This record gives sequence, structure tokens and C-alpha cells, in this order.
Amino acid sequence: MRSRILAFVQALRADGVDVSVAETMDAVRGVAAAGVEREVLRESLAACLVKDEADRPTFDRLFDAAFPLVGVERRAGARQRRAGGGVGAVATAGGRGTAGGRGRPREEPAEAERRRPAPARPPSASRETARTPQGLEDRSPRDAARRPGRVARRLALMRLPFDEFTARDVQEARDVVRELGRRLRARLSRRERSMRRGRVDFRRTIRASMSSGGVPARPRFRARRPARPELVALCDLSGSVAAASELMLGLIAPAADWFRRAHLFVYVDRLCAVSIEDGHVAPGGPLDLHARSDFGRVLEELWGGRRDLLGRSTLLLVLGDARNNRRPPRADLLRAVHDRVARLVWLVPEPRARWDTGDSVLSRYAPVCDAVLECVDLAALAAAVRQAL
Amino acid sequence: MEMTREQVRHGLRAARYITTSRVETALFLALVLEKPLLAEGPAGAGKTELAKVLAEMLRTDLVRLQCYEGLDEARALFEWNYQKQLLRIQADRAEGRGWDEVSHHIFSRDFLLERPLSRAITAPRKVVLLIDEVDKADPEFEAFLLEVLSDFQVSVPELGTIRARERPVVVLTSNRTRELSEALIRRCLHLFVDFPGAETEAEIIALKVPELDARLREQVARFMAGLRKLDLRKAPSIAEALDWARGLCALGVRELDAATVRQTLALIVKHEEDLRKAESKVTTLLAAATRS
Repeated sequence: MRSRILAFVQALRADGVDVSVAETMDAVRGVAAAGVEREVLRESLAACLVKDEADRPTFDRLFDAAFPLVGVERRAGARQRRAGGGVGAVATAGGRGTAGGRGRPREEPAEAERRRPAPARPPSASRETARTPQGLEDRSPRDAARRPGRVARRLALMRLPFDEFTARDVQEARDVVRELGRRLRARLSRRERSMRRGRVDFRRTIRASMSSGGVPARPRFRARRPARPELVALCDLSGSVAAASELMLGLIAPAADWFRRAHLFVYVDRLCAVSIEDGHVAPGGPLDLHARSDFGRVLEELWGGRRDLLGRSTLLLVLGDARNNRRPPRADLLRAVHDRVARLVWLVPEPRARWDTGDSVLSRYAPVCDAVLECVDLAALAAAVRQAL
Repeated sequence: MEMTREQVRHGLRAARYITTSRVETALFLALVLEKPLLAEGPAGAGKTELAKVLAEMLRTDLVRLQCYEGLDEARALFEWNYQKQLLRIQADRAEGRGWDEVSHHIFSRDFLLERPLSRAITAPRKVVLLIDEVDKADPEFEAFLLEVLSDFQVSVPELGTIRARERPVVVLTSNRTRELSEALIRRCLHLFVDFPGAETEAEIIALKVPELDARLREQVARFMAGLRKLDLRKAPSIAEALDWARGLCALGVRELDAATVRQTLALIVKHEEDLRKAESKVTTLLAAATRS
């Protein structure tokens, strides 16, 4: 039974249901305790292995494949013969389960022992081989190769330069980014909580001390007005830095509700308000991705049309490579913008060596900003966003 | 804990809790493996009730920790009773005792305010610890909970570590208003508690509102099942179904008809918007419920 559970776990993992080693151990112990009556087995395994109801259909499908309903009518003699044969043993265990009822954990080691020496796959493809879930064994090596890779993959993704991102990488990075965003959100509220303790409120401390015999046991603090900034983010969505922008928006989105107001924009040559839905960027208006990027014009639009968004408590985040396709940079406008906002931070998803090469006009914009941060990969981006906020 | 599935089933029956084999199995495993059980599902499907019934079944106390945003260790685990300590200090001063004696004194268990987690851990016998709506607490609190749930011990700097004499049976409930941390989920057995089907719900009504006529009971259960399939903001809970059944009893209703349903709909549907939607569907739902 144990090896069947292990094979089942492998199948689950291969289908994208994450199962940890500890959970597998729970499952084995649970089945030993609960018994192998089919429906009980199903629910026991589900309780131990499926932690998200969304995975339940996958689980049920694989369960039916791995623990098929085997006719109770199978005769004992036939059963023993096949158990010796190695292959049939897998199906037989199920047959015993449905017929045998309550759990007999005592028997398990012996049973596992019996099955262990089973060699590759004897050619005697009996009827039971067809019943055993196809490919359960085939899946495991590939899966084994993939499993430890997952964490490594995540780390690699954090360190992968944005200009080497493929569409698939972006897809995978979304999950990473969502998690990072949640952490960012938690960090912001934690910081706020620690800030909330301001100066001691003397009057309230004395009043509170009445209940402890005039000893000011618990100081009362004057509540600080939470100074949450407003956020305006401008992200370049043109080809060269699109991945970085998308991921940054994804990173900010979970934290957006922390800000007093958050306005997210993307641009190529025009400003376009966006919202983030389920990690994807949803533009709120027409957006020409193939236009030639022109940050100068974007600044004009921001200054002309959305100046109301720029205030004393606004944090303006710009993400872009400042490549203007030889169109005139509008550093003067950016300076005017900077003078209105609390803080202006520019994030550059290009390595520092490439700044100001070709049509990049970063050197014109950079002196105006409060900070210009290099973020060539996810790890740097996350750090930069943390720093900027 | 030594227990068989049969005992769990009978225990639940005896505690007047009607449920599916899924719930029985999960409960049984939680008891046998001594692991926390995380019950998720829509509000009003009986998750909290599960813990209460479990306590009744094991004939022990239920310690409940209701989570909310901003819940911290002082509220969940323990806190020193400052007032009492101060009184003690003042009383001791009058008697002229030295600092060593006093400080030894005021940091003893007598001055510890127990909070649900420490109460569950220090209880002399096995209790059921219900951590209700854990998704409402901050993620930071979850991390702290993790520590308590894995070791069942509390460290009080001045006192040392208090270890649980009997590991409490832990039930966590969540409505999934946010994702719980992977680490917490992995440490728990998982159970999805959904609304019961019409038949099970009829059984529940029979048990809790026995005075309701059998035919009417079936109709109520079927009507509820239909109502929950509508896309309402808040699907009616089992408790509301029971309220409705009691209400119908009190009104002396013999037959479920459109007029009665409309009059009493407010008992099960509480949002203005939902009410309008449900009212427009009353005839269809009723037709489905009273058929056969």
C-alpha cells in the first residue's frame, strides 16, 4: 500500500498538485489508521494531500486511475499467483482493499517488502497491467527531475536578466511576483504599525494610570496620522522593457490598496491608465504597443491632463529605459513634475553599462530624479521597489 | 489518540451533527494523527459547529480563539496582568520586602492573564482548540501560530517554557478571504466543508426542528438547495434554514406556497440585492422544491 500511495503522490505532483514529503508521510500514516475501504481511502488521502479545493477534481481523476474499482469477485488463488508476479501486485492490493474493509496496518511492511524486488517490468502484460494507471512509473523520473528544480527555478528566475525573458518566463514570474507583492503589502502595513507609536500622550497616560493606583504602568501614545502616500506609476510597455514593467505592476498591485490612492499607467508613446487583474495588465483605454516610444510626449500628457494626480504626498515611480527614439527629451517637464511631487524614483531595467548608449537620454532625466535605480532582474526590481516605497 | 472511525461516526451522531463520510474521515484522521484540521468552505456551512460538536463528542472543553485583523500575541497567547502586579508591589512595599523577593513573586503564574492559546496548552486535559476565521488575522500572526501549532508550547521569558500536557485537538476555520500561507496549510489536514445536499439538510432539519412536518421539511431543504445555486452575494446558511423552518412552524404553515415564501424570505436572504433576485425566482424555485 505504501508504494501505491507513493506512486499516487508522484502522479499528483506530475499533474501540478504540490505535495510535500511531510504530507506524504501523513497520508501513509492516515491510511494505516483509517483503512483502505475505497471511499475512506479517498477521503483520507484527500484530507492529507489536497490543500486546495481547486485541486480536488484532479485528485479525484487520478485517484480513480490509481485505485481503480476492482471486482470483489477476484479469487484468492489468482490473487496470490499475481502477487508473486510483481506487476499484478499493484492491482491486487486494491482488490484486497475493496474486499477486505478495515485497515490492517500491521501487514503493510510485509506487503511492501514483497513488492520491492519487482524488476523493471516483466513482459507478462496481464489484464491487470492495463488496469494499473498508465505511466505512473514513467512519470516519476521526469517528475523527480522537475521537483527539486522548482525552487532552483524560482531563484534562477529572480536572477534572470529582463532582456532574456521569454513569454514562458514571464508567465512563471507572475506567480513569484504575486507572492513578492503580498510580502511587500505586509511589510508596508508592518512599517506603518511600528510608526503608529508616536509621542507619549501625557494626559491620557495619567488618566490611564488611575486604574493602576497612580502608577503610569502603560504609557499612552498620541496616535500619528497615517501618512500614506499616493502612488503614481508610469511603466514603459514598449518591447524592450515590457516584461519588467508588467512584472513591476504585478508586484505593486497587491500593495496598491495600502496607498491613499494608486494610479497605474503604462505608456509607449501615450499615457494609458491600467488596472491589474489577476496578475495581468488590463489597459483602460487604447494602447498602441507598436508605436515608437516617446516619454517626452507622455510627460506632456501627464502634465497637461493628469496634473491633479501630482501632489505633495505623491510618490511617482517611473519604469523605463529612457530610450526616446531620438525625439526630444522633456527634462524640463520632468523637473516641473518633480517639484510638485514628494518623491520621484526612476527604475531602469537595463544594466548600468548600457545607460545613455544609443538613443537613451537617461542622463538628461536622471539629475531631476530623487533616485535612479538599476534593476536588471526580479530580485533587483523587488529591492528597488522596496527602497522606493 | 485511540479511536476508530465507527466511534467518530457514532460520536457525531450522538452530538446531533449530521454530516458526510468526508467530514467523518477527516475528523478521524485529525484525532488519530494529532494534526490540526483546517476546515474551509462557505460561511454558514457548519465549520465552527464542527469544533463545538467535536468538543461535545470528546466530552471536553472548547477553547475558542476568534481571529480578527490586528490580533496579536498579547491577545492570543498571554499577557502579564499589570494592574495586579502593581497592586502587589504596592502592598509589598508597605510590608518592606526587598526587590528580589518581590520580582520573583510578581512574575509567577498568578499574574499571568491567560489567553485562548495558553489556556488550551496549559489545560489539565485534552481540549478542543478552535481557531476561528484564521484568514481574518494578519499574515504575521499566522507565522506565530505556526510555531505554537508545531510544538504546542509557550515561552514566557520570565517563567520558561510551558509545554502542553495533553496536545489539544486543533480545528482552524477559514473562509478564504485571503490565501493562507503555504506553511500553515501544509501542517494541517484539509477539509472542505460545503453546504449539505437537500437530503442531508432535510435530515438536519428533522433533527433540530422535529416539529416540522416531514413533507414541508423536504420542500424547505430542496428550496434551500435551489436558492444556493442562485448567484447570491451571501448564500443562506444552514442556521438560516433552521430559522426558517422554525419560523414556518410558528406560523403554522402546512404547505409551502409563493405567498408564504415571499413573506418569510427575509429569514433566509438578508441582502437587499439578493432579496430582489430571490423574489424574482420564487416561483421557479418553488416549483422545483414541491415537485414529486
